[in-house]
Amino acid sequence: MDERIAPHVEELSRVLGNRYTEEIRAELEKLLQYRVPLDEAKRTILNRFTSRSPASVQVKDLVGGMNGFDIIGRVISIEKKNVTVQEDKRSVFTGSFGDGTGICSFTCWDDMSLKAGDAIRIKNAYTRMWNNRPELYFGKRSVIEKLPDDQLQDIAEMSHAKPKKLQDIAPADVMASSEVVIVEMYHRDISLKGKMLTITEGVIADETAKLPFTSWTPLRGADIGSFIHFEGASIRIFRGLPSINFSDNTTISLIAQPEKLPFTLHSVSSAADPVPILNVLDKSGIFDVTVAGNIISVRPGSGIIERCPVCNRVTQKASCRAHGPVECVSDMRIKFILDDGTGSLHVMLNCELSEAVYGKTMYEAEKMARESISKEVVFDDMKRVLTGKYIAIRGNSSKNEFGVTLVAKSAWCPDADLKGRMDILLKRIEGQVSNNG
Amino acid sequence: MAEREMAYRIFACEFNDSRFQVSSASDAPGQADLHAPNFLVTTAGAKVNRLFIAGVITEVEDIGSQKGGEKELWRARVSDPTGTFTIYSGNYQPEASVFLSTVEVPSFVTIVGKVRSYEPGDGSVFVSLRPEEINHADESIRNRWMVDTAELTLDRLDIFDEALSSGLSGTDLLDHLSLKNVPSNIAEGICIALDHYHTDRDYIRGLKIQVRDALLSIGSSLSASPGGGLADIEQSVMVMLHEMNQGKGVEYAVLVREAGEKGIPAELVEKAVRSLLSDGSLYEPRVGFFRAID
Repeated sequence: MDERIAPHVEELSRVLGNRYTEEIRAELEKLLQYRVPLDEAKRTILNRFTSRSPASVQVKDLVGGMNGFDIIGRVISIEKKNVTVQEDKRSVFTGSFGDGTGICSFTCWDDMSLKAGDAIRIKNAYTRMWNNRPELYFGKRSVIEKLPDDQLQDIAEMSHAKPKKLQDIAPADVMASSEVVIVEMYHRDISLKGKMLTITEGVIADETAKLPFTSWTPLRGADIGSFIHFEGASIRIFRGLPSINFSDNTTISLIAQPEKLPFTLHSVSSAADPVPILNVLDKSGIFDVTVAGNIISVRPGSGIIERCPVCNRVTQKASCRAHGPVECVSDMRIKFILDDGTGSLHVMLNCELSEAVYGKTMYEAEKMARESISKEVVFDDMKRVLTGKYIAIRGNSSKNEFGVTLVAKSAWCPDADLKGRMDILLKRIEGQVSNNG
Repeated sequence: MAEREMAYRIFACEFNDSRFQVSSASDAPGQADLHAPNFLVTTAGAKVNRLFIAGVITEVEDIGSQKGGEKELWRARVSDPTGTFTIYSGNYQPEASVFLSTVEVPSFVTIVGKVRSYEPGDGSVFVSLRPEEINHADESIRNRWMVDTAELTLDRLDIFDEALSSGLSGTDLLDHLSLKNVPSNIAEGICIALDHYHTDRDYIRGLKIQVRDALLSIGSSLSASPGGGLADIEQSVMVMLHEMNQGKGVEYAVLVREAGEKGIPAELVEKAVRSLLSDGSLYEPRVGFFRAID
């Protein structure tokens, strides 16, 4: 056996830059034992060991499913956990890792004798999605290189990294600091482990973005319109949208001279101008964004629908996925694709917005459906009314396996200063055409 | 994740000049993904799979029945001020075919469609659209499409100018453009266009002139359109009259001065006031004073 596979191991190792020879041999032997054809086995190994991602990445650029990249930073915290993997007791090391662009959580499968504060270069790391965020993994196929301590900023600076703009908070981040203004705030009583607790929820903003926040500690002296500086807030990701969590470990202070900030309560509260859809597609999720474009397709599932009275899920043939046959509740919605020539995304309109955009109430639509004994008639009518129309939508966007979806909070027909835009364009062309000629 | 192909806005002249098709899976021959979209790369670097057009439908022909009536096939022509898009709709586009069989000619329509190209074998290429959505439109939708399309086209042509002046090509050009934050699909399209069509400054300039002429052709209908600028000015005049009213209405000269500060010229104020008077939103309590009716 050994004799026969030796040249292949050598070949693979050479292709991979003379690395991992022993591991390649072990993998190849295992695959051949399972009677995987030699060519396929070699391909599998090549794929596994080849790095498909950029050679060196930073925390802010981490996404799920990356392989074989290098990353430099500091271990901020680390702890040992005992887990059972297939009835096998093992220890893993988890913690957080920062490089000045962000702080992510990591899992290391082997004891690399790392401790908090170590400046390291991890070669051949990979990422997996965990708790909706990319998490950094490394193990025995990775190489850890300790760096001289003075090569990186010190740990305090990394763990409380300098304030980030809200739009720069990346999916991999677990902690962040920033300077923001509170634009919405309300209190809610919840029961946590049998204890009543008042939490504060709301929305914070800077000139780049808005994000929802939850505070588990009382926000003394802060109210709507307060400018605050926070440090070490934890971040949770849901549907690609970060939400900021203030806890006992977060330090929060009021900003003494808010007039020095590049934003005011007024500037962040006013409705933003539409952004090109391309910019929305780049992000995994945006809280409160405005886009405008043409409705290029009204999608199936629009029109009169039925929902489960318990869980609000859409029902099929009067039967809910979770609750079986139910007394359905009627609802109306519109799903369509909005396209502005830079990109396209899905938009969801609830009943109220559907009525406004479609121009018929749900009552009228239901009547129409009853009279023709078909719900299709409402869908067809919506297509006729809406396809091709120009519309502006404000809401939250999120990315999933089907693309980017915007759940609308409001919708309107934007003012058209076509004449003004046309004059600008004509001037632009005039300048260029005469310059060139 | 299969991302949805966005709908490009381009003018008919640029579309009809184009004949170069690429498949996104062309770099992996033998394993070509059947679902990989095909693109038409235009002379000015748009990499188009899907188009959104608005224009006037000028001709519908039932060419299916000419060949014995077995196959349903409709050909339609939709024109914008720079040229004409050709549309083919067969039995796989039942809704579009029904639409075309009943549409009045001429009328405004919007179409979302996939790009098709046909090579008869003599070296020529015919490009057409296969509709996914087709709907009635009105002049205001067409006008907005024109302005949007002109803006997007000019943005792209500016990048093309940039690419031409850089003197680079291939991956060097791609790197150069990505440093300038040019979206990758446009950068790729421009690279291919340079390579395949040898598009030069003269062509780009010609295209700009066509865009200008197209805009000028709808210019008159824009200023005259009742739903356009005047309605906005009427609304601002109403708001001003409400705000400035101290019981006896507002003096016309004061109104004009206030409007002037907001950038509204006097002749438009006069137009708005006349129109508001005629539809009964205003009255003249004293000569030269106007008051809004609550």
